Amino acid sequence: MTTDTAREPEAGREPRGWFREHSELGICAVLVVLGLLVLTDALRIPTDFAQRGPVGPKAVPVLVGSLLLVVAVLLARDVLRGGRGEAETGEDVDLSAPADWRTVLLLCGAFLANAALIGVVGFPISGAILFWGAAYALGSRAYVRDPLIAAGLSVLTFAVFNNLLGVPLPGGPLMEVF
Amino acid sequence: MSVKVWVSVATALLAVLLVPPLLTPGADSGESGQVRSLRVLVPNAPGGGYDITARTAAKAMEDADLLRNAEVFNLPGAGGTVGLGRTVGERGNGKLIMSMGLGVVGAVYTNKSPSSLLDTTPIAKLIEEPDIVVVGKDSPYTSMQQLVDAWKANPGTVTVGGGSAPGGPDHLAPMLIAKAVGLPPKTVNYIPFDGGGELLASVLGGKVAFGVSGVGEYRDQIQAGTLRVLAVTSGDRIPGIDAPTLRQSGVDVEFTNWRGIVAPPGISDTDRAKLVEVFTRLQKTPQWAEALQRNGWTDAFAPGDEFRTFLENENKRVATVLKDLGLA
Amino acid sequence: MEQLLDGFATALTPTHLLFAAIGVLLGTAIGVLPGIGPAMAVALLLPVTYGMEPTGAFIMFAGIYYGGMFGGSTTSILLNTPGESAAVVTAFEGNPMARRGRGAQALAAAAIGHFIGGIIGTILIVLLAPFVAKHAVDIGAPDLFAIMVLAFIAVTSVLGASRIRGVASLLIGLTLGLVGLDEMTGQQRLTFGSLHLADGIDVIVVAVALFAVGEALWVAAHLRRKPFTPIPVGRPWLSRGDLKRTWKPWLRGPVIGFPFGAIPAGGAEIPTFLSYVAEKRLSRHRDEFGKGAIEGVAGPESTASASAAGTLVTMLTLGLPTTAVAAVMLAAFQTYGIQPGPLLFQREAGLVWALIASLFIGLTLLLVLNLPLAPLWAKLLRIPRPYLYAGILFFASVGAYAVNADIFDLLLMFVIGVLGFGMRRYGLPVLPAIIGVILGPAAEQQMRRSLQLSDGSLTGLVNSPMAVIVYVVVLVIVFFPLIRKFLPKPAPPAAPARDREEIDA
Repeated sequence: MTTDTAREPEAGREPRGWFREHSELGICAVLVVLGLLVLTDALRIPTDFAQRGPVGPKAVPVLVGSLLLVVAVLLARDVLRGGRGEAETGEDVDLSAPADWRTVLLLCGAFLANAALIGVVGFPISGAILFWGAAYALGSRAYVRDPLIAAGLSVLTFAVFNNLLGVPLPGGPLMEVF
Repeated sequence: MSVKVWVSVATALLAVLLVPPLLTPGADSGESGQVRSLRVLVPNAPGGGYDITARTAAKAMEDADLLRNAEVFNLPGAGGTVGLGRTVGERGNGKLIMSMGLGVVGAVYTNKSPSSLLDTTPIAKLIEEPDIVVVGKDSPYTSMQQLVDAWKANPGTVTVGGGSAPGGPDHLAPMLIAKAVGLPPKTVNYIPFDGGGELLASVLGGKVAFGVSGVGEYRDQIQAGTLRVLAVTSGDRIPGIDAPTLRQSGVDVEFTNWRGIVAPPGISDTDRAKLVEVFTRLQKTPQWAEALQRNGWTDAFAPGDEFRTFLENENKRVATVLKDLGLA
Repeated sequence: MEQLLDGFATALTPTHLLFAAIGVLLGTAIGVLPGIGPAMAVALLLPVTYGMEPTGAFIMFAGIYYGGMFGGSTTSILLNTPGESAAVVTAFEGNPMARRGRGAQALAAAAIGHFIGGIIGTILIVLLAPFVAKHAVDIGAPDLFAIMVLAFIAVTSVLGASRIRGVASLLIGLTLGLVGLDEMTGQQRLTFGSLHLADGIDVIVVAVALFAVGEALWVAAHLRRKPFTPIPVGRPWLSRGDLKRTWKPWLRGPVIGFPFGAIPAGGAEIPTFLSYVAEKRLSRHRDEFGKGAIEGVAGPESTASASAAGTLVTMLTLGLPTTAVAAVMLAAFQTYGIQPGPLLFQREAGLVWALIASLFIGLTLLLVLNLPLAPLWAKLLRIPRPYLYAGILFFASVGAYAVNADIFDLLLMFVIGVLGFGMRRYGLPVLPAIIGVILGPAAEQQMRRSLQLSDGSLTGLVNSPMAVIVYVVVLVIVFFPLIRKFLPKPAPPAAPARDREEIDA
């Protein structure tokens, strides 16, 4: 494991650089938001009638929410003192390159397109779009092969679930025509 | 882009568009007397109570030639209210029915579901399963009277176990009993377990003072003598179980868990009549009689309007109890 | 014993053998499919057996059950998408192994672990059935809560290099575990009025989202574009060194798994996790954990399989289903008019012993069929990276959607996947979050149940001998480092510099 401090630009020259350097504080912010969310949600639970015994439905959320806030503060202290989380490494991960946001957004797009379209055009089409879109986002440029693989996989999955298992998936616009 | 690419994309498109419809059997053509292609929504997971009822009924209908092609599918979630929401949303769809039961009535309140069972078109009540009040063989209680006395004296330590979450049948039954004997439901120390099985362990192990559950899963233990039934909650005694009814034990409550079939709101009168007819005929088939026997269910057939009145009353009764508990 | 032999005689007839083989194959095939665990596999295949005679049907079910459990771990190892909750822990080490070209070994370790765990578990069924029937019901909420406390202590060993980040991750998991209707009172917690969240978030959804979706996004951000090298397949079989490392975890698995399976509300998630932690502690290759240590596959798989066997004991002798699969099988028994329970062994002796015999046969078939397949499965990872990750996303989406046919589940998976991406970016380990989702709700439920059973008295937490014993163990583990300070030091423990951060947390 390597620390990722190396690839953070060592720039303390302006505030923007400082934030970039300490972007991990964003995680602290997330923890604070989560903590507040859990706490406010817990406090609204009425306990006067439903609770029996000393520990009701509120206790654990209050504990978890408070701990989230405490940990957010401790993590912030750690970050400000120069602590850094080590970004995860892996066989397919190249940390020396800067984050490639275009690929990430394309991949998110493919995933969300499936969610958005599955009810409209049916699973075989949306599933094929997901597979093809994800493969494209990740750099596959086999324009002939990709659509065929995507469609094949999608239709096969549909057949297995729909026909062999009896788990219905939405079939698409032509289902009613035949 | 080359021709090849276009050919490939076109082939892919054709495949995803054309293959799925070809894989699915043809649609309805509207014959009389027999219903073709009916979809049965099961609002809990495969293997659950509504699931077994739906699949058993669908199978019996197909065997009796009342139905050509029934497709049973599961849409579990939130005590059945996710499936209920879907059914209510399919307004006017006469080819969809939902298998449901008492549990869904309570779940509508505890989950604060926007759709109510009163929005649906009731088709038929099919079966009933009475609950039993049960203790382990080493329990100090040998009669309902003893138990009620101890319970009233100390509702906190006389714990009740049930196999359903608050709002479910096993929760409602002890609450109704408590009300009938003069205990405020709030004082009842009800402990929910994950289904009748987990509850059974706690009753056998003496962890809870008594349990309330459907009779089905417990017959063998009762026969073996490891469980003692203090009372059955139905109006009549159950054959094969040597226990009085609640009324006979001086508790004025009658309570059974039931299951039935509802359809989406706003379906045409012909569709409704057809569905009621199919279930009325199902009820008379030998296949259904055999299925009842095999599963230990009591026949409690009530078609259309009769079922609607019943549903309205149940809804009121459940709402009253849950309001007392602050759950509705 | 004689009855068991009779059982073998019944189960070894060609027809029954065929049923067992079909069951194992179907189970494995369906277990591999996304979103379909063994419980659903058995439920969906229930109609197949209508019209079969009971013995044949149950022999087939046993095959489906074990096959489904095994199929779930195959996807866990290869694609990082656990097919069922018992296989979540397997992904911890199994997937890194597969990525390093040791997929075949991981699958083989899982298959053999499954076999050994299952065989020992089944032997224990034969030997201990009456004992278990008598004592399983004595285990109650206080005992289970004590075990949860022990499990929380064990979490410290998966927190990773930075304690504070590990704890943050654990808390995220606990927060996800809070979502849903409160099991004891029916109050809504963190559901924001949505019916979709009322049942809580399934641990498999969280695991697949954090592992697979999060990873796909993370890889997308930092994809190693060139040069393209397929994941090496390596030698297909377990080497002598592998066997040396795995035989002990295989044998330890049943010790943890079987009792858990047999007790009510035991299940397989917590024992597999405890097995993982135990193997990590006991391994001489502790530094390899997290990067593909074979012990971390062998132990949990053997545990999961033995726990499945334990489940069958309570189901057969008490009629008490302790897992979803057992509940479905119980329903299946009932449709045949057979009521599992204390009288089953007397009334249906022939069927029960044939079923037990077929468990041995099913496990053997599973091993025989799957061991040669391991290298073939592992080759799946040689497909080009874009297809691999696109396939993982596809697979994860189908699994999330197929069960409930609900777009909400896809969006939920996406949101948790993005969370997983952020956690990878900032070095928050993913494991503690998963453990939080598993342990949190279970611990809370058992604690509150204990307190309610004692009508609010705190003594309710310690009023059983087993709970007390477990707490003593917990105290020893917690204070052992302190005690050790006062003992003469055998050798200075190698204190890595990173441990300094512990003080902060």
